[in-house]
Amino acid sequence: MKRSFILILVVTFVSAVFSGCATVPKKDYAAFQAADPHSILIIPVVNRSVDVDAPDYFLSTLSIPVAERGYYVFPVDMVKHLLENNGLSDADLVHNADTMKLCSMFGADSVLYVCIERWDAKYMLITTKVTVDFDYKLKDCKTGDVIWTERKAMVYSPQQSQSSGNPLADLVAMAISAAITKGVPNYMPLAHQANAEAFAYPKGGGLPAGPYLPEHKKDYDQQKK
Amino acid sequence: MAKRTLPLFVAFVMLLMLAQGCAPSRKYAWGGYDADLYSHYKHPQDREAHLEHLQEYVNNAEAEDRVPPGLYAEYGYCLYELGNIDEAVLYFEKEKAKWPESNVLMEKMIRNARRQQENLRRPSSMDSSQGQEETK
Repeated sequence: MKRSFILILVVTFVSAVFSGCATVPKKDYAAFQAADPHSILIIPVVNRSVDVDAPDYFLSTLSIPVAERGYYVFPVDMVKHLLENNGLSDADLVHNADTMKLCSMFGADSVLYVCIERWDAKYMLITTKVTVDFDYKLKDCKTGDVIWTERKAMVYSPQQSQSSGNPLADLVAMAISAAITKGVPNYMPLAHQANAEAFAYPKGGGLPAGPYLPEHKKDYDQQKK
Repeated sequence: MAKRTLPLFVAFVMLLMLAQGCAPSRKYAWGGYDADLYSHYKHPQDREAHLEHLQEYVNNAEAEDRVPPGLYAEYGYCLYELGNIDEAVLYFEKEKAKWPESNVLMEKMIRNARRQQENLRRPSSMDSSQGQEETK
């Protein structure tokens, strides 16, 4: 029975860490509160990793966590196509374009700029370390200023959780799981987790409630506690 | 054997409860919106499947009265790209009515769609306008 309690304790602790319940130092929300954006335009993601597919894949994960914070989120796929049709086929071009012009083109209150800093899998003899790292910036359409920013990195390496008792068999099992991860590394769970933590408020220092949540403007002081 | 599996089971249940506690249910009925977008970017040529999925999400979300922002517009744009202009306009109108924040963009899309439609109706410009459909 003693062993089971320790196990429960360990599992509880690990899952608490994974679900992003950890507290983060507070942020200054004065500029955000002054801007009070109601809509957020998510533009294509800039890629600083070597994986050419990463920006599109990551773009698909952003709408839901942002909209669930109570904001109107513009249709990301449609926005991407419209920008392409207007000569902004490259995300770097969009990010370097004038914020106010983007705003007036879509009638947005704010623009979310996201950069992928890392999106890679490193093979390390018997295991694989998968890393993602994102930089988020929200700019106000009235002033063009950055009103919220966040940086989120996530690392995953498969754990040797079930031991067969035979060290050689364990090594083989790990090598296999590493090969699978290396062959088709699945970044998406890590990406979703990064977003969940980045936008969570007030615990994660994320986005305060938008106009479609009942806590809109009422949760500003929560961050200071 | 049973002695060893019980603590594992308890730990598993607790983990599930914790995971749910930190990930509350969603405000909107998204369906598989993000997963569909991911596979759409993975297989961009499969537009019909993308359209079918979006249609399913729209219908389900309407039935639950929890339509998420942007969903009507994404579906409308998919219809527009496949040449179903009349229905596309219908969904741009729905997005505009449900989300006032989308007004500027939806007005633009509706104007574009109507222009496109007129070009298609004009027999003389039929060939050229069809060629331009992708870039409009």
